[in-house]
Amino acid sequence: MEQDSGQDTEQHRQREPQSGRPHLWKRACHQCDLLLTRAHAPVGQRLICPCCGATLHRNMERSVAHTAALSLSGLLLFIPSATLPLLEFSLFSFGAENTLLNGVRALFASGYVWLASIVLFCSVLAPLGKFLLLAFISWGSGWASMAKPVARALRWYHHLQEWGMLDVYMLGILVALVKMSDLGKMTVEPGLYCFVAMMVISSAATVSFDAETVWARLARRTAGKKNGDPEAAQ
Amino acid sequence: MNRPARALSQGFWTCLGCRLLVKVPRNVSSCLCPRCGAHVHGRVDGSIMLTWALTITGALLLIPANILPVMTVIYLGSGEPSTIVGGTLELYHNGLWGIALIVFVASVAVPVMKLVGLVILCLIVQLRLEVSPRQAMRIYRVVNAIGRWSLLDLFMISILVALVDMGAIAEVAAGAGSTAFATVVVVTMFAVQAFDPRLIWDVYEEKMAADVKNNNAQGEERV
Repeated sequence: MEQDSGQDTEQHRQREPQSGRPHLWKRACHQCDLLLTRAHAPVGQRLICPCCGATLHRNMERSVAHTAALSLSGLLLFIPSATLPLLEFSLFSFGAENTLLNGVRALFASGYVWLASIVLFCSVLAPLGKFLLLAFISWGSGWASMAKPVARALRWYHHLQEWGMLDVYMLGILVALVKMSDLGKMTVEPGLYCFVAMMVISSAATVSFDAETVWARLARRTAGKKNGDPEAAQ
Repeated sequence: MNRPARALSQGFWTCLGCRLLVKVPRNVSSCLCPRCGAHVHGRVDGSIMLTWALTITGALLLIPANILPVMTVIYLGSGEPSTIVGGTLELYHNGLWGIALIVFVASVAVPVMKLVGLVILCLIVQLRLEVSPRQAMRIYRVVNAIGRWSLLDLFMISILVALVDMGAIAEVAAGAGSTAFATVVVVTMFAVQAFDPRLIWDVYEEKMAADVKNNNAQGEERV
């Protein structure tokens, strides 16, 4: 793992002569600014800031491969969860279905544009974007020529991550299910099972993803390309 | 006594986009991260001011969010518009106290707790209050973690609006309060993002440095 993380220290070492002190620092806690010298967790472990307790680095085993697999299955599951109905409500032989998108459409139609966009963004666009970005990052980090777009995708992922609210939406479905069940007949439709699976996979993808591993991978590829070393560039 | 070194005092900045440690020369006020290209600052720019602004906006918006109705359930031609608190009470009276508790926590307790937490955090930094930084960090983490759950009620409304749409028999319509409430949630989420927790530790560090200075001065007097 030490080898993997060589890149960021390398950059500092080049600038270090100006300050005249040997380079020691590798990372600062993003929540309390504590400087740490040995700042990479061994594979399969987490690194926690000794000062404030923030998680600094979570190094999952086979992080990139798992993230690639999970994001692809998330994308596949997104198709049925977005197209199939999630719930059905029926009352005196009248019935209506709920899909991920027609709630948004109904809100748009009744003039709640801002509310509809928030719901659309948090329950459809952000999770979809997250899966797409993760798939792109884990696939693209294998090529040195993709370094720039992958870096940008990593930054976007960082911003987008907390706006994906599949779990909150799931709880919203449960509340709607219970709340309306004494008014009419509520039935669970196949789309809901796909939605639950997508939600679980989304959280699994968040946990398995490790940005530090991707940066190290990118750095190795770029270094390999510069040195003309085909072994490392592959 | 040797206190642990902190990045800013040693001339390092952390990129908040990719958490790379960047060595910055003096008299540079901002630079781009060499790894991910994000803007890097020693501390988040205007953190306290922005957090205050967004928190106050959120607090003000909480008033229409609670006064205006968020949803109307029309059943067989009759139905009263209900506010957030009213909807929770209705659930409770219908005997669904479990669901009532979930909705209450998500849409009443969480936004209020979040705003109170943000005000406390801002006050700690602004007035340089003497508090344990670990306690303050706990507030920050709770505020950060609970934020998204208050969108629960809005998701439920969007589900019901599409689901219960049968003309004269039964219909669910959204109310103006829901827009205000959605804005409260989004604004407070941005407020938490704008807050830089490292400022809490800066205040603490300042206090510790002052204490050490005082102790040294007293020691010298005694000698």
